[in-house]
Amino acid sequence: MKKLSLLALIGIMLFSMTAFVSQNTDGDRLLGVWEPSNGRARVKIDKIGDKFFGRIVWLKEAKDPVSGEPKTDKNNPDESLRNVPLKGYRMLKDFVYKGNDVWEEGTIYDPLNGNTYSCTIKMTDKNTLDIRGYIGVSALGRTDIWKRLEIKSKKKSKK
Amino acid sequence: MKTYYLLGISLLSLGTLKAQVDSTAEEDDFSMYEELDFADEGAKRYCSPKIEGLSPAQLIYFGYDVQGPYTMSADSLYSKSGQPISGEDEMKMGLTHGIRLGCNIPVISKTSLVWQMGLNYWQTNFEGVEQDIPAGGRNTVIDQHKNAFRTLGLNTTIFKPLDDKQFILFQGSADLNGDYSFSDFMPLNYLKYSAAVLWGKRPSEKKQWGVGLARTYRVGELNYIPVVMYNWTDATNKWGTEILFPARAAVRRTINPRNLVLAGFELQGQSYRLYRDQDLRAEDLEIRRGEIRVRMEYQFSLKDFLWVSAQAGYRINYRYHTDRLDGGKETLRAFGLVSDAPYAMESTLTNPFYVSVSLNLVSP
Repeated sequence: MKKLSLLALIGIMLFSMTAFVSQNTDGDRLLGVWEPSNGRARVKIDKIGDKFFGRIVWLKEAKDPVSGEPKTDKNNPDESLRNVPLKGYRMLKDFVYKGNDVWEEGTIYDPLNGNTYSCTIKMTDKNTLDIRGYIGVSALGRTDIWKRLEIKSKKKSKK
Repeated sequence: MKTYYLLGISLLSLGTLKAQVDSTAEEDDFSMYEELDFADEGAKRYCSPKIEGLSPAQLIYFGYDVQGPYTMSADSLYSKSGQPISGEDEMKMGLTHGIRLGCNIPVISKTSLVWQMGLNYWQTNFEGVEQDIPAGGRNTVIDQHKNAFRTLGLNTTIFKPLDDKQFILFQGSADLNGDYSFSDFMPLNYLKYSAAVLWGKRPSEKKQWGVGLARTYRVGELNYIPVVMYNWTDATNKWGTEILFPARAAVRRTINPRNLVLAGFELQGQSYRLYRDQDLRAEDLEIRRGEIRVRMEYQFSLKDFLWVSAQAGYRINYRYHTDRLDGGKETLRAFGLVSDAPYAMESTLTNPFYVSVSLNLVSP
């Protein structure tokens, strides 16, 4: 009887673990390199712990047109951060996978004006994200569509 | 024993799972991200409705507008049957002022289509100074300025990018303008419809231009006019233009992204139905108000997304004539090219200075 209970416990734990792993794996579909609709930047989404973060890894205009130096976060309201290079900057922060292809509780930073907005991410298909930045309530916001990128040579080899 | 061993493995796996999912690693070599393409081969790039450096779009605004003193002069007014209603008159106006509030809410905001709907309410109160009333009494149209003039409008903006460079922009509005009150509300058949459609190009992140056609009341009466859009920001992001000619044009100086100064002009106008007075209501009269506001504007972020706009300038009267509908229809004059029909009553206004302040919640 004791052995049977133990087996049941193991069964439950394995089931929970499978569900946990499945939940995590579903959320991991967000990982990769994405391009916002304006095409000005590319953002690589990574995972740290249970949360998702996105860093700028490419800029269409990488250098400041006046100084010729690599662009920094010069519009950040925090003066001490204005010399931080934009390339490598974490503009998406703290997203948690909520199921149904939705990631919430995160923020998005706009380096053009130094504002940080509440944000939700919805994956509409495996290569497309609806990124909605908003102020307070979702209705007061704007949705941008991001597209997944992949290495060109990899794509060619598929053909 | 074997069972306990299995249990231990399971717990260990669960515990270490969290540590294994950290997929980030600090990297300084970003060259691998240069040669990338869309994973979805059918994906298209579309141009954005904005360019870098533009003054922020308003989601919600609440403002107050005040014009300084000026003189309003009016000719005689005759009825439909040619009987005199009022004689010539002149009245000094004190302050002309009122609230201006509105909102623009995105309904669809996608890369391939942006659709916004908005509501606005403007109220204009006239502080008349009673003096030198003519022997025949106050001109009846001038006398209607004891009532507030109101504009209640619904508007829509649709931005449709065709590709990564070209776009179509449509703006439409339906406005109820007049001296009506909310207890004696004006019927919706007095709505005035305006619209503009433009085809444009956005050759870079710092420039967009377009050309199109507008049906507008901006000069006080119905007109069909060509429109030109030219928004531009220089390489340093310090200077730029925001032009939708002839409606408005401004040179922009960006002190920093949270502090902007604009200098330019705006053409404003409405066609106000004279509705409150029963006798005038039967006369089918509308005041065709058109004015040019030459101005300086300072916009700054008060806190995060809450911005203040402070304008000061000179209000130049373009037209303030009273027109009579012809069989319920407006007369299309098109600057005299289509018709030179006389107005029911001509008026002139002298030009005062004005200030306008608003608190705005700006769009992401």
